[in-house]
Amino acid sequence: MENVQILLRQHVGAPCAAIVKAGDEVKKGTKIATPTGLGANIFSSVYGVVEEVLEDRIIIKPDEEQKEEFVPIEVEDENDKLAMVKEAGIVGMGGAGFPTGIKLGINLAETETAELDPEINPELPADFKLEHSYILINAAECEPGLEHNIRQIEEQCDKVVRGVKYCMEITHADKAIFAIKKKNDKAIEILRKGIAGEDAISIHLLPDIYPMGEERAVVRECLGVNLTTMQLPSAARSVVVNLETAAKIAEAIDEKKPCITKNLTVRGKINGGNEAHVFMDVPVGVSVGELIERAGGIDGVYGEIIMGGAFTGKSTDLDAPITKTTGGILVTIEFPDLHGANVGLLVCACGGSEERMREIAEKMNGKVVSVCRCKQAIENKPGAPLKCLRPGNCPGQVKNNMQFKKDKCEYIIIGNCSDCSNTVMASGPKMGLKVFHQTDHVMRTVGHALYRTLRVSKQVDQLPNGK
Amino acid sequence: MSITAETAKAHAHDPAVLCCRAEGGITIEPANLEDPAIFDDLVDSGLLNLDGCLTIEEVLGAKLTKTCDSLCPLTADVVEGAKVPSAPAVEAAEEAPAAPAAPAAPAAPAAPMAGGVLKIHIGEGKDIDLEIPVGALGGGSAAAEAPAVAAAAAASAAEAPAAEPKLIRSLTRKHFNITEVKRGPETKIEGTTLYIREGIEKECIDSQKLVYDLKIDIITPELYHTYSETIMDVQPIATKEGEDELGSGVTRVLDGVVMMVTGTDANGVQIGEFGSSEGYLDENIMWGRPGAPEKGEIFIKTQVTVKEGTNMERPGPLAAHTASDIITQEIRECLKKLDESLVVDTEQFDQYRRPGKKKVVIVKEIMGQGAMHDNLILPVEPVGILGGKPNVDLGNVPVAVSPLEVLDGCIHALTCIGPASKEMSRHYWREPLVLEALHDEEVDLCGVIFVGSPQINAEKFYVSRRVGQICEMLDVDGAFVTTEGFGNNHIDFASHHEQIGMRGIPVVGMSFCAVQGALVVGNKYMTHMVDNNKSESGIENEVLACNTLCPEDAVRALQMLKNAMGGEDVKAAEKKWNPNVKSSNVEAIESVTGKGLKLVENEQSLPMSQKRKEKYD
Repeated sequence: MENVQILLRQHVGAPCAAIVKAGDEVKKGTKIATPTGLGANIFSSVYGVVEEVLEDRIIIKPDEEQKEEFVPIEVEDENDKLAMVKEAGIVGMGGAGFPTGIKLGINLAETETAELDPEINPELPADFKLEHSYILINAAECEPGLEHNIRQIEEQCDKVVRGVKYCMEITHADKAIFAIKKKNDKAIEILRKGIAGEDAISIHLLPDIYPMGEERAVVRECLGVNLTTMQLPSAARSVVVNLETAAKIAEAIDEKKPCITKNLTVRGKINGGNEAHVFMDVPVGVSVGELIERAGGIDGVYGEIIMGGAFTGKSTDLDAPITKTTGGILVTIEFPDLHGANVGLLVCACGGSEERMREIAEKMNGKVVSVCRCKQAIENKPGAPLKCLRPGNCPGQVKNNMQFKKDKCEYIIIGNCSDCSNTVMASGPKMGLKVFHQTDHVMRTVGHALYRTLRVSKQVDQLPNGK
Repeated sequence: MSITAETAKAHAHDPAVLCCRAEGGITIEPANLEDPAIFDDLVDSGLLNLDGCLTIEEVLGAKLTKTCDSLCPLTADVVEGAKVPSAPAVEAAEEAPAAPAAPAAPAAPAAPMAGGVLKIHIGEGKDIDLEIPVGALGGGSAAAEAPAVAAAAAASAAEAPAAEPKLIRSLTRKHFNITEVKRGPETKIEGTTLYIREGIEKECIDSQKLVYDLKIDIITPELYHTYSETIMDVQPIATKEGEDELGSGVTRVLDGVVMMVTGTDANGVQIGEFGSSEGYLDENIMWGRPGAPEKGEIFIKTQVTVKEGTNMERPGPLAAHTASDIITQEIRECLKKLDESLVVDTEQFDQYRRPGKKKVVIVKEIMGQGAMHDNLILPVEPVGILGGKPNVDLGNVPVAVSPLEVLDGCIHALTCIGPASKEMSRHYWREPLVLEALHDEEVDLCGVIFVGSPQINAEKFYVSRRVGQICEMLDVDGAFVTTEGFGNNHIDFASHHEQIGMRGIPVVGMSFCAVQGALVVGNKYMTHMVDNNKSESGIENEVLACNTLCPEDAVRALQMLKNAMGGEDVKAAEKKWNPNVKSSNVEAIESVTGKGLKLVENEQSLPMSQKRKEKYD
C-alpha cells in the first residue's frame, strides 16, 4: 500500500492543525489534527508512521498489515450523542463538507418557521407555518453516474435508519423524510421495509432530473417551501443530512468509530468497461491513482480525471488523495477539438464555476469570447460559490443566447441543470449556436443521456402516505 | 428571462410567452413568463410567432392545460381560466363621452408586433396611447412615450385657478430688411442694400494667426447652386441697441441676409466630425430649419482656411469664427446707427412666470468635448464673439439662462458635429422648444440650463450630477433634456435623465436617434423620448440641420411632458425605429387640439447630390 495523504482541510471552514509529527506511530483512529476554527477532527485512516507533516497535509507510511480494529473516540459523557458526532470528525459526506456536529447543534422543536419570501412562494399563505420539524435525508444521489449512495441503502439500510433516528433525537425533530429518486426501485423497496415500523419516517420520491440533491431543492421537494439563497434549511424547521453522513453518525454513536473512511464510485474509461465500481469504506487519504488501479486501470487515452461528480466536481490527477467528501472518481474520454472557435460560457450555480468552465473550454481548444451567468445564479457574497434561486426551475435563457450571438459565438458550453439546459436548447440551435454541456464528456463516457432537451416530467407520483 | 410580479404588472397588456418549459396543470405566475422586452428581436429572427397570443394580464393565475416548452406563446387553447382583458376595445373608446374625470385607458394594440411593426389603431378624441421610437436603448428595449392627450389636457384644465401670470422681462426685435448685398469702399447700409468693405478680408486674416486665408462670397438665390466647403455655422446679423444687455431690451436684426461660416484646414480637410456638408449649397441645406437659412435669403459666406491640422483642435474653428465675426461686427456697427424709419417689423417676446402652473425647465446639452466641439456662452452681441465664455473652459458645468437670452443669441455655436444634427447659432435664435414652452400658458417655464458634454465619462457624470442638483433646487415639476449630435453625448444625455428622474421629476428627452443615432446607453428614467429625426432613412445624412429640433418636435415633447407630469402611463417603444409612430402621434395631437401641425420637409425635397446618392439614398 502506498503512502496516504490526509489533507488538513476536508471540510467547510479553516484548515485543522496537525497534532502529530514526523516519526510518530499512528493507528486507525488516532487523532492527528484538530480544528483551528470552524472544522472537524481528523484521524489517521491507517496503521503506520507519520512520514511528513506539510502545510496542507499529513503523509503517513502505512504498515504492511492493516487490522480491522480502530481506536474508539472518547467523550466525557457517554450519553452525549452530539458530542460523539463532533468528536468523530463527521462532515457532510455528500460533498459540501459542513461539520455535522455543528449542523446538528440545533433544537428544531423550538425553531420557528422563518419569514418566507412571498416572491418565490406565491402559493403559500402569508402566515404559513410548518407544523412539524424535520430531518430530511438526501438520498438523491444527484450527480449522474454515481452509485455508492444507493448501494449503501441497499446494503446498510438499518444503519442509515439508525443514524437518521439519532439525528432526530439530537435535534428534537419529530419527522424524517428520505428524498430519493423514483427510478431506484430496489433501494426504495428495501427502504420501505426498513422504515415500515417507524411512524415518523417517510419517503418522498424525486424525479430523475438535475439538481434534486441541492439542499434547498430537497427542502422544496419534501416540504413545498422555497428558501432564498441566504436561508438555511432551519428556516423551514429542517436539517438536511446526506444518507452516508447519517450512517457515519450511527457508526460514531454505536461503535464509537471516527470518520476515517469514505464510500465512492470509480467510473469511466476503465479497463473492463464503463460500469460503476463502488468501493465502500475506503480509507481517507488513498490516492486517486490507487483507486483507479483497483477498478481496473485507465483504458488507453483519456480526457481528464474528475474528482466528484460531473456537474460540481473538479479535474484532478492520479496523485491526489481522497477526502471525507470525495464521492466520485471519473475518467473521461477525450475532449472534442473546436480548433480555436469562438465559445460562449453559460455559468450556472448548478454546474462548474467560471474557472472550471474556462478550463473545459481550454481543454476543448475553444476561445472564450463571452461569459453569461444564469439569471438565478446568485453570488451571496463577492467570490462566494453561486447559489441557485430556484434550483431546477429555469428562469429563461434566451437573453443569454442573444448575447452569445451578439458576441459572435459559434459554440456555447453550458453548465446548467436539466430544466435550464432544456430552455437553452429551445432557442440556441435555432439561432445557430452549437451547444455543449460541461458534462458531455462524462455522460458520453458513462453512457448517460446528454443534458439537452428535457424529456421527463418534473412531477412524480408519490408512495401512499410516503410509505 | 423570467419576470417579477412588478414587471408583469408593467407589461400587463403585452403577450404572454413561457420563458421555460412548464408542465400541464401548473398555475401560471410571473416566474413562468419571458420578458416582453426581447420579443421584437425574437419575432424578427423567426423564433417567435405571437399570433393569437394572450396577454400577461389574461394568463396570470390561469391554468396551463398541457406541457409547453420554452418560448411557447400562451394561446387560448393551452390556457384554462384566462381573465378578461381590462383594456377596453378600441371601438369602445370611440364611443366614450369625453368626460374630464375619466381615466385614460390604453388603447389595445390591434395586431401586436407583426413583422416588428406594432400597429396601433387610435380612437378619435380621447384615450390614446402613442409611441415614439428612439432606437435601441442599452442594447435592450427602447424608451417611448404614450401621452393620453385628452386626459392630460383635461387634467390641466381641472387644476385650481392659478395666480396671475407675472411678466419678468421683455425682448424686442426690430427687423431691418436687406434685399441686396454688395461690396463697396466702406461697410454701410443704404436703404435695403448692405455694402461690405472691399479688402476687409485682409483684416480678418491678419487678426488670427491660425487663419491662412478668408474669402467672402455673396450668395444670392440665383447662386445657390454654388460649391461650398462644409458649413460651420449660420448666424443672424443682429446687435443690441444702446446699453441694452443680451436677453432684454431691444435687438436689431437684418432680415433677408445671414452670415455663413465655411471652411477647411490648409490641407483641404473639412472642419467637421461625423460628416461634413461640403457640396452644392442647394443640395446640402435643409431650408427653413431653425438653424438653417430660409430659401430666398442672401448668404454672406466666408470661406476660411485654417492652419493644417487645427481643424481638429479648439483654436482652429474658433479662429475661423472670430475672423468671420470681424465682418459681422462691422455690419453690427452700421446696424446700430440705422434710422428707425427703416424698421419693417417689430416683434416682442415676453417672459412670464405662471404661478400655479406646472413648473418646467429646459436642459439643453451642448457639445463640449474640446477638439472641434465648443460653444461661446453669452457674448455681448447676439451670436457675437466678444465676452462669450467657452463652455469647455467653464468645465462644461450647467449655466442658467433666461429663455429670452436663448432667443437673443446667447450661444455662439462653434461645434462641428454631423451637419444634420448640429444646432447652428441661428438655431438658438429661433429655438422651437423654448418658443413653444414660453408661449404655452399651461406651463411655467422657469428657465433654460445649458450644460456642456465633456469628453471624459467621469466629467460627464460630474456635470450631470450638477444638473440633477439644480433641478432639485428649482423644485420643477418636469424637465426637458435636449441634445445635438449622437453617440458620445448620449452618455451624459442618459445621465441627465437619471439624475433628474431619480429625484422624482418627469423628464422628456429629445435627440436625433432613429437608426444611426440609436442610444448607446440607457436607464430606467429614459421613458419619454422624442426623436428629432426627419431623414427618410433615419440617418445623419450630412444635410445641414435636417435632423434638428423643429416645432413639430417641440409640440410633441411639450404634450408628452404634460402627460408625464399628469402621471399618465408610458408604453415601451418599439425596438426598431419606425417612422409611423411619429406620424400617428402627430395625428393624435392634431385630432385632440384641433390644430393642424404642418410637418417639415426632409432631404427628399432637395435636388439629389452626388454624395447623397453614393453614400446614403
